[in-house]
Amino acid sequence: MTYQLTVIPIDRSSLPKLPAWVTSTRAETPEYMAFLSGASFAILDTLLCQSNDAVPMTLLANTLALRAAVATSKLEGRMATEADIRDAYYLTPPGDDGIRHRGPDGEVLDYWRNTVHLRLGHADWMRAIADTIHERFEDAVETWLKTAVDRSRSEGPLAAATRIMRDVLEADDRAERVACLLSDVVLARFFGWEHPLPLTALHLSKSNLRDLKEGTGEPAVHRAIMQSAQKTYRLATTLAARAEALRAITPKLRTRGSEDAVALFLREDAVAPSSMLAPTIRGTTTSMTARAARRFCDRLVELGVARELTGRSTFRLYGIAS
Amino acid sequence: MTAAATKRLHDDQCDGEDNVLFDRELEDLPQELRWREWMGRIEAVLFASASPVGRDDLARVVGQGASVETLIDDIQADLRAKPYEIVPVAGGWMFRTRSHYATAIRTAADVGEQSHNFSEEEMGVLCAVAYHQPIDRAGLADIFGKEINRDLLSRLRYKGLIGNGPKSPRPGAPHTFVTTTEFLATFDLRSLRDLPDLQINEQLETGVL
Repeated sequence: MTYQLTVIPIDRSSLPKLPAWVTSTRAETPEYMAFLSGASFAILDTLLCQSNDAVPMTLLANTLALRAAVATSKLEGRMATEADIRDAYYLTPPGDDGIRHRGPDGEVLDYWRNTVHLRLGHADWMRAIADTIHERFEDAVETWLKTAVDRSRSEGPLAAATRIMRDVLEADDRAERVACLLSDVVLARFFGWEHPLPLTALHLSKSNLRDLKEGTGEPAVHRAIMQSAQKTYRLATTLAARAEALRAITPKLRTRGSEDAVALFLREDAVAPSSMLAPTIRGTTTSMTARAARRFCDRLVELGVARELTGRSTFRLYGIAS
Repeated sequence: MTAAATKRLHDDQCDGEDNVLFDRELEDLPQELRWREWMGRIEAVLFASASPVGRDDLARVVGQGASVETLIDDIQADLRAKPYEIVPVAGGWMFRTRSHYATAIRTAADVGEQSHNFSEEEMGVLCAVAYHQPIDRAGLADIFGKEINRDLLSRLRYKGLIGNGPKSPRPGAPHTFVTTTEFLATFDLRSLRDLPDLQINEQLETGVL
């Protein structure tokens, strides 16, 4: 006799909204804050651990990576906009040496897109994280991570996350992105996620980090991380709906290779038709002409499931996420 | 025997002296020694040169088909315990003291600013790229009030200080220029935020906040 696994029945197009009491902004005591952030992460974790594919996880991670890139650029004083960063990242062809020189704005997105693919499941994950981080911290990264993981078990994930951020900032107060990444890693490990999600950077300000380094900023950073968890929950439900809409119109698309192209749109928050769909659809061997790629993207816009992101008539980028 | 033939015979006998008859292959040596000799040659060439030496030049002193990269890897292995190393720079290789010893060198001898032979204009363009990247030629022309010579940009690119960055989203898709990690290394910057002006911005900004 076979049993069907029990799956929480979830109507893809109407995932539950965050209850209003969770998003209450009036939390002024540390106890109330702790209560709300626990609730926020619980509901986010439940959504992310759904075993069905209602939430397009790669798309969510890539969208968060872009937002984290904008936030990090602000923390680092460069103030690049989403459009600057997207252009620098997507419009850089490989150089003569095969390396893409994306410049500072493209690099920050590259940084976050790489981090969302870091694996936290395997035995040697700490070493792997330490290796991806700039060599200037050397062995310190592993020590910090070990302490933070222990701390997260006794004091909770947010205290551990802010502690590791402080460790990084005390070693180098210009390593904001490393601080944010390690905090994300500590959170993801605590919740048992396979990859880190860039949550920490999203709502931080420079003064938050300055205060944190001086030992007074913890509550503000906790609040920022809680806000990110709530934002991420909302984003995940929005993306689930967008993905569902795209899947629903897929049978209407007659272009050859449209299935692979749709799969790309379900992973990438921005698609450059001329380089990511033509001459072959990225990640596949399916070929598509530049003209077919452009028409395919325009068709998605026509059907109301994608948006053109740049507002330009050339060098366009399309996506379903924003 | 003609005079020319005599000369050739004579040259054959005195080895090494003359470039024309430089023995690359070293076929009379056993393989092990031959490899050692090639390593020695590459090391000597790099040691004698103040600027990076490209692969083509190095390949000229070793046997046909011998991999310059593999030879350099082997030399690197020998140098592991030394305070200097061979680093890939601007498409070639050069000797460099390990950064760990920088303070020692500065303390012992006043090694002044290394001359990179930048003209004033090159320096100006490099700064403009560093602060305004990604920037294309039109953008540079706006800053300098005149077209920037393509050769000048090529020279900076050849030195490995700038690279072709993202394309500008405008007609003709001109590529922009961005600085490279080599640029940061050359000017001893950890990141672009160490550029003086950005620090001032930061201070202003924190002042406003």
